[in-house]
Amino acid sequence: MNSNIAKNFIARNVFLCATAIAITSCGTATFSKPGSDTQIESLRNFELAFIDAFAVPGKRFNAAAFDAKVNEGNAKFQQAIANEKFTARRPVLVDLKGQFDADAAHLRSKASRGKVSPALASEMKKDVNKIYDHALGR
Amino acid sequence: MPSAGKPKRKKSRKSELDSALNQVTDESVAASMKEFQDLLAQAKGDTSELIRQNAQELEERLVLLKERKIDKEDFDFFVENQKRDLRVFVDGQPAQSQERAEKLTLQILEIAATKVVPILIAMI
Repeated sequence: MNSNIAKNFIARNVFLCATAIAITSCGTATFSKPGSDTQIESLRNFELAFIDAFAVPGKRFNAAAFDAKVNEGNAKFQQAIANEKFTARRPVLVDLKGQFDADAAHLRSKASRGKVSPALASEMKKDVNKIYDHALGR
Repeated sequence: MPSAGKPKRKKSRKSELDSALNQVTDESVAASMKEFQDLLAQAKGDTSELIRQNAQELEERLVLLKERKIDKEDFDFFVENQKRDLRVFVDGQPAQSQERAEKLTLQILEIAATKVVPILIAMI
């Protein structure tokens, strides 16, 4: 009787260990963090370039070029969210998309009225770098 | 002189904001400004890097506003950015630390936007 209980206990533990190893190896195979980090860095570079292109004091506002860039950004973010294999990181990408939306709205409002200052551009880039660093856990 | 360069510049910026806020003569408004200055000093000396960084950025942006390098729209936009970033931080704190974290981050931004900015704009 006691011997049966001991055998069952060992068998159960072996099964649990095997399951844990299987789950862990699956996770390693499907989620590559460096790839996910690279995607976030790519979005950061896009957003910084967007600010550099449109937060220029004295530059005439080109609505068509601005809208085209915003559409390109929206597509990039949506694709990144859809392709993110690590589901826990999707809300972070959604937050970054929220920052891009807010930046685009503020920049449109200011640039279309010719009210962009050098300090606005540099402070916007500071905030972008900060939120991306936090997204990457730095 | 060992303390030349950057630290000296930061000190003069701090003095610039403090001296502006110290000019307030109305008693009730002066009390609010004092409360804000105390909270800001507390936040700048906090052990959390994020709280210190937030306080430093807030102070720099108040000075930019006073110097008319950014306008109120820009300032409000940056405050919303800071709030968005900080909400995650505050929610992630242990229950017993949340109230203090909120006071030194979200609440300080709120006081700056609603009480300090109108005073600074009136001084411009």
